[in-house]
Amino acid sequence: MSKLNASDIQGFAIRGYNMPYARYCFLRFTGAEGARALLAKLLPLVTTGQLWDKKPQTTLNLAFTFRGFVALELPLATLISFPVEFQLGMKSRAGILGDTGENAPEHWESPWQEGEVHVWLAINAMNPEDLEAEFQTVQSLLESTGGALLLGVQDASALPKDGKFTTQEHFGYTDGFGNPDYLGVCRKTQPGQGKLSADGKTWVPLATGELLLGYADEAGELPVAPVPHLLAANGTFMVYRKLRQRVGTFRAFLNHWAARYGEGDSFAKEKLASKFVGRWRDGTPVELSPDRMDQSIVQDPNRSTNFQYAKDDLAGTKCPLGAHIRRANPRDAFGFEGRLIHRRRISRRGLPYGPPAPPEDTSEGQDTEALDATDRGIAFMALNASLARQFEFVQQQWISYGNDARLGNEKDLLMAHHEPGERYGIPGDGSPANPPLFCTALPNFVKLCGGDYFFIPSITALGMLAMNLVDPR
Amino acid sequence: MSNINGKVYAMNVITPMKPWKTWLLRGFFFILGHIRSLQSDLINLHFIEFARWVIVPRHAFPYLGEPQKRENLQYDYLLFFSNFNGTWNQYIDAFSAVLSRGLNLIWRWSEKFPGSVPVTPFKSFITSVQFDTDYFFSAYPEATINDVQSAHIVESELDSLSKQSAALTPEEFRAAYLQFVLNVQAHLGSTGTAPEVF
Amino acid sequence: MPSQSGSVYGLTLLCPIIDDNDAIPSHDLQIRYHLSTLSLGPDGPFATAPGTHLARLVVLDDVVYVGVPSCEEHLNSKYLVFESNCDGDRDTYLTGLARNIPDQLDAIWQHCIGYPGTKDLSAFLNYMKKCQLETTFFFAPVNDKSVTQTLSALQTQRAVAAFIATHQSCSAAYLQKDFKVFIDRCAHAPVPRPAGQSFHRQLKTGGRNE
Repeated sequence: MSKLNASDIQGFAIRGYNMPYARYCFLRFTGAEGARALLAKLLPLVTTGQLWDKKPQTTLNLAFTFRGFVALELPLATLISFPVEFQLGMKSRAGILGDTGENAPEHWESPWQEGEVHVWLAINAMNPEDLEAEFQTVQSLLESTGGALLLGVQDASALPKDGKFTTQEHFGYTDGFGNPDYLGVCRKTQPGQGKLSADGKTWVPLATGELLLGYADEAGELPVAPVPHLLAANGTFMVYRKLRQRVGTFRAFLNHWAARYGEGDSFAKEKLASKFVGRWRDGTPVELSPDRMDQSIVQDPNRSTNFQYAKDDLAGTKCPLGAHIRRANPRDAFGFEGRLIHRRRISRRGLPYGPPAPPEDTSEGQDTEALDATDRGIAFMALNASLARQFEFVQQQWISYGNDARLGNEKDLLMAHHEPGERYGIPGDGSPANPPLFCTALPNFVKLCGGDYFFIPSITALGMLAMNLVDPR
Repeated sequence: MSNINGKVYAMNVITPMKPWKTWLLRGFFFILGHIRSLQSDLINLHFIEFARWVIVPRHAFPYLGEPQKRENLQYDYLLFFSNFNGTWNQYIDAFSAVLSRGLNLIWRWSEKFPGSVPVTPFKSFITSVQFDTDYFFSAYPEATINDVQSAHIVESELDSLSKQSAALTPEEFRAAYLQFVLNVQAHLGSTGTAPEVF
Repeated sequence: MPSQSGSVYGLTLLCPIIDDNDAIPSHDLQIRYHLSTLSLGPDGPFATAPGTHLARLVVLDDVVYVGVPSCEEHLNSKYLVFESNCDGDRDTYLTGLARNIPDQLDAIWQHCIGYPGTKDLSAFLNYMKKCQLETTFFFAPVNDKSVTQTLSALQTQRAVAAFIATHQSCSAAYLQKDFKVFIDRCAHAPVPRPAGQSFHRQLKTGGRNE
């Protein structure tokens, strides 16, 4: 395979920056010329995928919606060569994604409701002061070029605990595991993140083309990509979703069912929480350790994502069939050594937003209404070479539906939008420590506030956009 | 007209074959039909409700008499009818990913078949040889093959439990009931509408 | 016998359609139009007549031309394809159709050459036999349950799931008592009608984008 030119790929596409602060800015172009002038000024600030000798204090990256490309007046032949789902945008795909009821676009907030976002400009930072400084730079460029309006920003930051930043999210789960390994993209691969080799014995990275356009993908071909080639290569598609989390509803639900699970004590609560997601809240994978938390597994990269389901957990008695991580990445649960899964992987980025919730053992920490009333959640992003085949498929077939997991119409407990009458089943194994439990009256834990589909171009492509040099033939 | 009814998709495909190649295909189907283990991959994909291949030799198109004109064809034709769950893309992706050898053995005798890997030319080929269903009936459109198999398991377990139940004390029944729940717990998914397709 | 798999039969018919230049619209178009108005719900023909799991009706206009170096050729007739996955064997199933939905069959098959109607059952069966193609390979992973058994099992599954969810923490005596009531109800529940749940699909979505 060809060697990746990291200096041509935007860093956000191939690395998690591990910076605790972020501000996502959403812009709308005012006109093609001003837009190009703005891009030309922003280009030197864009962070590439090159490895750092010394970690910078901030990074900056850009992505565009289809409407953004239309506003840049790209040639028609290029515009119509983008995949259909990208052209339509996430708002039009709501039915397909299961974004109905309160998640439907008519209930989204600004700037998503209006569907006029053209640019996602992301500043990641090590500290708030440098973030503000970079943001000021961006704002003055917006003013001096007049190229775009700032429609809104979304601030996000890692949740702190005991004075340090964690990778926890608002429901209390430790996040940040299991991003796929791609050939040529990661420095160190980790067992369980890629795919199984043909002999089923070792983990190898996925084909680069599952993430980046212009490289061979898992189907043994170059992924379908827009023209011209230079515009598409080294780029990737991104979905951005602002997911508001109802911490109060979650805690109340967990407490209610924990009282009916096993001994009904605080251990039962943590165990039940682990059965919702497939990891204990401290990050221990349930499949490897169904009966207790085990930080030694979490801290060991050779073990923390190194597990499978088919050998002895097809019945879901360790990791329930409908648990979140099992839905999002079924590994070998559908047979065929996982070959049905390789083309359905996504890379996740993102950070929590909103103030940390008060601890669960305080009175404010149990005030359901007040907790739900505060706007907090996750700025969720996923990267993939094909939105339709990867993100949309997982969201539609595995999160909002359950047939492949043999669960009929059942949905992901925490992530999906629920209708009345739905259930979440936790299989038992016959021992008193692992009873079966069927949770009913599922509330909506997460509300979608908006988002869209973006394309993250390569540095070369950004240059072409800035200089109006996109020629489809 | 729709190829889709609830959770099932009706795919119709017709491909031409040079008549001498038809015999090779018949041979392959004969073996497949008699060796159930070769069908195991198809069974383990868990999304086909019913599927059939029909070879129509060029002289075998039904002829009902005047005024119908007899067919005068050079090719034999292979008809394929599938009733599957999931989307069109998902179905072909899955076949291309895990059953490419079997697919090739069936369709390589058809003219201009590009092979089932890689998947994009394969999908173009299928698009060109697929024809659309006018009327597609299912007695249980709200259920997939997984749902149907689960339902039969549940019914059979319920039957067993109900036969025992009268003779048991409440405590004994509770134990039997718990075992029943364990036996059916992975088979209780609800049925209903299919996801909106793309 | 290749068309039979367990208790399920794979019936494939290719019925030549009348070619009459004086018919406006032509017979194949008339069939198409008629099929587009047929109900897919419990009042539709194959829900009313017994034994059909899944069935389709397709007007086959012509064979496909896959491009050079293949030869271009065309069918001299259009055909009505009837692909059915049904209970029993061919003659039992077709007799069931003829007995239960004669008018609906006529409405469709009147456009086909040589169709004798359903009044003379043996003529009807003979006609169907002449149009039948031998299924070369029939794949039916679940091939041992009838339509009625399947519908009943699906109904039972729904009821069992609800029962289990609402009886998760009750006394042993209560559980046993309630279970007995539940079993009685299941035994007396009428078999649901085929195609009882039908769906309206949004035709505006869809596309083979990849």
